[in-house]
Amino acid sequence: MDLIFNIILKLGKVDRRWIFLTIAFVVLIPLMYPLSMPIRATATTQQVYDAIESLPSGSKVLLSCEYSPSTKPEIHPMVVSFLRHCFKNGHKIYITCLWPDGQFMAEEALEEVAEKEFDLTYGEDYVLLGFRPGNEAVVKGIVSDLRKLYTIDARGTKVTEIPMMEGINRFEDFDFLFSGSAGYPGSIEWVQYASDPTNIPMSTGTTSIQVNEIMPYVQAGQVQGILAGMPGAAEYEKLIDHPGIGTSGMDAQSVAHVVIVLFIILGNLGYFIERRREKQDRGY
Amino acid sequence: MMKDKNFLYGSIGFIFSFLVYWFLGHPYFITERFLMFVAIVGFGGILIFYTRMAQRGEDIFLRTIPGLKAVEEAVGRSTEMGKPVLFVPGIQDMDQVETVAGVIVLGHVSKMTARYETPLNVPVSRAIVMKAAREACKESYLVEGRPDMFHEDMVHYVTDEQFAYAAGVNGIMVREKPAACIYMGKFYAESLILAETGNSIGAIQIAGTASQAQIPFFVTACDYTLIGEEFFAASAYLSGKPELVGGVKGQDMIKLTIIVILIVSLFLRLAFDLNLVNINILDILST
Amino acid sequence: MLWKRQIPILIVTVIGFLTLFGWFTDQPQIKSFVDDDATQWFDILASFAIFLGGFNLLKLQTQKILRKQEGWEYSIFAVAGIFFALVAGFIIKGNPDVAWGTHVSAKGTVFKWMFTYMVAPMQATMFALLAFYVASASYRAFRIRNFEATLLLVSGIIIMLGRVPLGSAISSWFCLYLFVLFSGILINSFFKNKQYTAIFVIGGIVLVTVSGMFMGWPVDKPGVFYLPYLQEWIYKYPNVAGARSIMIGIGLGIFSTSIRYVLGIEKSYIGE
Repeated sequence: MDLIFNIILKLGKVDRRWIFLTIAFVVLIPLMYPLSMPIRATATTQQVYDAIESLPSGSKVLLSCEYSPSTKPEIHPMVVSFLRHCFKNGHKIYITCLWPDGQFMAEEALEEVAEKEFDLTYGEDYVLLGFRPGNEAVVKGIVSDLRKLYTIDARGTKVTEIPMMEGINRFEDFDFLFSGSAGYPGSIEWVQYASDPTNIPMSTGTTSIQVNEIMPYVQAGQVQGILAGMPGAAEYEKLIDHPGIGTSGMDAQSVAHVVIVLFIILGNLGYFIERRREKQDRGY
Repeated sequence: MMKDKNFLYGSIGFIFSFLVYWFLGHPYFITERFLMFVAIVGFGGILIFYTRMAQRGEDIFLRTIPGLKAVEEAVGRSTEMGKPVLFVPGIQDMDQVETVAGVIVLGHVSKMTARYETPLNVPVSRAIVMKAAREACKESYLVEGRPDMFHEDMVHYVTDEQFAYAAGVNGIMVREKPAACIYMGKFYAESLILAETGNSIGAIQIAGTASQAQIPFFVTACDYTLIGEEFFAASAYLSGKPELVGGVKGQDMIKLTIIVILIVSLFLRLAFDLNLVNINILDILST
Repeated sequence: MLWKRQIPILIVTVIGFLTLFGWFTDQPQIKSFVDDDATQWFDILASFAIFLGGFNLLKLQTQKILRKQEGWEYSIFAVAGIFFALVAGFIIKGNPDVAWGTHVSAKGTVFKWMFTYMVAPMQATMFALLAFYVASASYRAFRIRNFEATLLLVSGIIIMLGRVPLGSAISSWFCLYLFVLFSGILINSFFKNKQYTAIFVIGGIVLVTVSGMFMGWPVDKPGVFYLPYLQEWIYKYPNVAGARSIMIGIGLGIFSTSIRYVLGIEKSYIGE
């Protein structure tokens, strides 16, 4: 018994570099040898899916990309799946970016989905308005007068020369908003300055850590559901029946979470054994 | 400080002017936001009341916040070990109130480093924050009578890019091995990277932020964490100035008012649902 | 003295009140100032201020190289990076068919190459560190020291497992058995009576087994022990309650700090 306790104690005080190595292996191996775990959509993801399904065909949807390469694994699969879902349902997509990196991410997503998969026409089926500096001032600008803010799109074409921009002058001319957000400015600014004051419905996809901040808005009905991190992306891919990076990442995430839980349990076992031994040494 | 009589006349004048404006048809006023206007004026009034109460010399009790008590200990520890203090004022610009609060705390910390002759390193992520932080440090060193110890490069710009900044600060931590790391401001995902690196070099770490998502990471990795409004109250605690202490008390009274309104609204709504009253409180509150 | 004290306070007070009360008015000029101009003025200031920061960075890194201070070799990369970005942004486009401005995200440009092959991988690498740091921080910090720490630990484990597909595969009956065992440990620590503990644990296991056999061992029932449902409940109710209260507190803190600045009570920006 003492031998087991000693082993647990040693494991409970392991150098953090062993933890890093273990995490590296448990993330890498499922990526190379997928486990194909079943994915079940949660209520909040289903809400997002239903919100888009309920839009009549040909709706004008505003997509806002505010994420960077660092949060690409979580948000990019959501944005790609969202574009697939919208194009499948025949909606028109208008893309803005509150982050400069978001424009690069949006270009990548459009290339993958709009150009290669659906072979759609720029300016008629989708348009990339691009990044503008100003954080929430951009959101306010889109609400009050979009054309004052965007005179040209991200490719240098005048907005007045883009066919699908006809009739689009302010935020209320859109039918739906989706924000792929990794921080500030992002979903909260869209809710506060755009969606809530104008009653245009919106959904969002955020990093797992941001879900806490957005959940009150989802509970209050100001946001129609939320795609929570990579699990949310995987669930959404399942709902649109097109597995992608989100789904393939879930195996690695599942195993990594289990390993972290095991480390926590090990750490606590070591802690209890040490406390017990200290008490015994003190003669209690 | 304004005399009570003058303050009273000023307040009456303000209310009277507003009433006249209201009864003249309140041109350009967005009536849907009237309740919010009343709330702001009311809460502002509560704040001013307690600020003036503190300025008159009345004793106001503030509970001890361990994180703020530890700031001076942390600077002292750095002095004993002959190592610098690292202060990170967040990664956002001066348009964020958290950054402003962080720079205020920096002013107090730099007074301590001037007093104890401890080196201070303040890497910043925005150029305007660099200027503001420099001014705060310069004034602090001047007030402490140590302008010779201040040099502009103690506050230096790294980069605007979030993770490049985190990498830069990590590099400073690993090379200079500060004995105390103080994180006060708005943080995002880089918070855990900074805190874990600080932990690995054995520094004492004190964090303060109102970024909800990052509070758990700081709580886990730092020795002391100021959560939410504790961080905004830091300047009152560290300076001890009566007007600031009164402001903290006023904040607590506003919170109490909100709690009372919440409970009353809950019962009113319940009564409305049970058809006991005709007033739907949600209609009033949503104006 | 007027320039260093009264005028800055006056500017802060006037602009502060204008921005605060400007939200309540629909007078076009004030609304335009509050909604657009004020933030745009800040952005213009920040854009010019970047030169200050850039020059400061360049100065420090160059000094490090010239004086051969510790780690000066890394400063060469910093200086080279600054100049490479300037060249890619303003001097060499790389794709002559693309206009200046749109060249930042257009295919075939040096800037786009820099973003795709340098900035993006480096950003992703730094963010990936979080996975390792979360593991080491959780391992170090999640200890059952008191009731609150235990609550944090248990809810953390429920959320971590419930969010991933593996959590959906864990039957609620397994969680129920674990619940019976841990309750047994609690009973033992309260009553310190092995008989009571044994009766409780054995009784609990028998009850769970019989119920499971009767219900056919469905994976997601009883729902209260099914990890995905439990984590959804934790997210929607205790978490939102806590998040809302922290948000209210933070909002009040921001309000109080801002009012102090606008009313001239907080004067740290002028050194007082």
